Amino acid sequence: MDPLVLARVQFALTAGSHFLFVALTLGLATLVALMQTRATLSGGAVHARMTRFWGQLYVVNYAVGIVTGLVMEFQFGLNWAGMSRLTGGVFGAPLALETIGAFFVESTFLGLWIFGWNRLNRWVHLGLIWVVTLTAYLSAYFVLVANGWMQRPVGYEVRDGAARLTDAGALLGNPTALLAFGHVLFGGLLTAGFFVAGVSGYHLLRRTAEVEFFRRSMRVGLVTVMAAVIPVVVVGGMQYQYLQPTKTGGDDAAAAVADFTARFGPGDYMAPGVARAGEAVMTGLWSLMLLLAVVALVKVWWGRWLVRGRVFHVVMVCAVPLPYVAMLAGWVFREVGRQPWMVYGVLRTRDALSPGVGSGTIAVSFAAFTALFAVLVGVNAWLLARVARRGPGGAVLGASPPVAPSSPAVSATF
Amino acid sequence: MVSLAVVLLAVFAGGYLVLAGADVGVGMLLPWLGRGQRERRVVIASFAPFFLGNEVWLVVSAGLVAGAFPGLEHRLLADLYPVAGVLLFGWVVRDMGLWLRGRVDAAGWRAVCDGAVVAGSWALALAWAALLGSVLGGGGLNAGSVLGLPLAVLFAWHGAGFARLRLSGDAAVRAARGRGRFGVSGLVLVAVLLVAGVRVPWSQVVAQGGGLSLTAVSAAVLLPLLGASQALVWRTFWGRVDSPSYL
Repeated sequence: MDPLVLARVQFALTAGSHFLFVALTLGLATLVALMQTRATLSGGAVHARMTRFWGQLYVVNYAVGIVTGLVMEFQFGLNWAGMSRLTGGVFGAPLALETIGAFFVESTFLGLWIFGWNRLNRWVHLGLIWVVTLTAYLSAYFVLVANGWMQRPVGYEVRDGAARLTDAGALLGNPTALLAFGHVLFGGLLTAGFFVAGVSGYHLLRRTAEVEFFRRSMRVGLVTVMAAVIPVVVVGGMQYQYLQPTKTGGDDAAAAVADFTARFGPGDYMAPGVARAGEAVMTGLWSLMLLLAVVALVKVWWGRWLVRGRVFHVVMVCAVPLPYVAMLAGWVFREVGRQPWMVYGVLRTRDALSPGVGSGTIAVSFAAFTALFAVLVGVNAWLLARVARRGPGGAVLGASPPVAPSSPAVSATF
Repeated sequence: MVSLAVVLLAVFAGGYLVLAGADVGVGMLLPWLGRGQRERRVVIASFAPFFLGNEVWLVVSAGLVAGAFPGLEHRLLADLYPVAGVLLFGWVVRDMGLWLRGRVDAAGWRAVCDGAVVAGSWALALAWAALLGSVLGGGGLNAGSVLGLPLAVLFAWHGAGFARLRLSGDAAVRAARGRGRFGVSGLVLVAVLLVAGVRVPWSQVVAQGGGLSLTAVSAAVLLPLLGASQALVWRTFWGRVDSPSYL
């Protein structure tokens, strides 16, 4: 098979599965941090339990986000060496800043948060989850600076066959990065809102014992959905002024194609049609989510209305995938719409492929990592559902220290 | 600026080998250190609070390479594709084994996760050995890629040195049989890294323009903060372990 196709599909699958988990990580970390703040301030038992239950789901979800992110970071160097050769001097900087300025602290403090439960001062422990949340956002920002530069390269010059950064401010303040960051931020909150509401709906539907717990959680989820559903579309819409002309085929498309043909020779410079399909799916699903947010606006004021209404609960359970599908479709619109360019107007995707890496090597790597990720995504989706179904009683995160091993009453998992 | 970036890369890559090298080594020795599934969970608890904070040293090293030495990125990854692929694959398998092990209470589940931790740790150590051997041999796939493989034993030895400091009871006795000295094996790992580093033509692989300064200066400024956050982890969790943790 064509190594270019394999490398592209591999990247799409890696980035896609990475983003599925990242979106929930961003939004859920924020909600868990707010829950823990409330628990720390009020000392209320229900808030502490909410922190542990939703925190447990956050941590299970986070693990897959990390490992897919690792593979994504290394895939640039493995499959796309042409990119590091020509544009590495610019594109590498935000990736470096992401690891140094955000991910290092995020991961270190998350370890402290998970394992330091009941060991650290509760205010310090609260501070940790906020640092984890803010560095997660910072991480998303830097990654989108790198991606925004691929969409709209700024602040650089090409000299001696390599791009060099000339204006760090232009790179870091690139509107295609800033607006995408806002879009992802509210998209993450929307994902977490529907996730929390869906899990709560499941428990309320089943009439489990935790009515108070899930009534409160349902309200948190619905308020988050209502708060995020309008900003996500506003920031999303603001990005249209920076869309590449070849993405949507506007008036400037012909001029852009003529320019590219003059500089890079003849070729198909219009984006594939699937990009527009991605746009349609994203906006269609958003309308559906807006409809649900309006229903939520009516329901959220009365606790009894949240506990009752079986149709409403079923709808909220079914709505959990909506933001996920919408976001993947949005990425298809953004990334497929950039084709045939790796860095728009600077480096073609096929010129970015690692030279000298045989198609057999890429095929083996493709098969191995695709199989691995399929298992990981499957196992983790199952595990998330399992932890969610078991409810707050089953949360292991932040449980009191295990009983001494000699005690006969031990029933902890090991 | 180039020297600063090289020193920073040495600090982060060295930090990775010394810190994460220990938890990789313990993972390699898991079947020997822990008899039975409960004891194995305690062995994992010996490095559990550290492992998240350990692997980030490699992530930052990769970030530094991308930002400051883009020419090195494809020398280490694309030119050593099979080695880097195994390294990445082993890393993911191992991490998932660790993350998932404690999540389901079933003997079969734990056995599969233990297998993933052990196999992933060996794959990771062998890939590192091949990678260091390749760089020592002059870059690209060469005789050093195979001759370097015994270097993987260094990780196991380093892990034994760490485990004897952290474990208690029978497991600590078994760890002590490895005759590991955490400080000594750490120094040996760093020495191998430095010798390999001398073989890299730094001036040919460095980034031109502002990307290099932005990367190197940010890393230098943030290094004390990163060091402090790690120190907090070690201060909080240091001591002997005798009970399971979250993992």
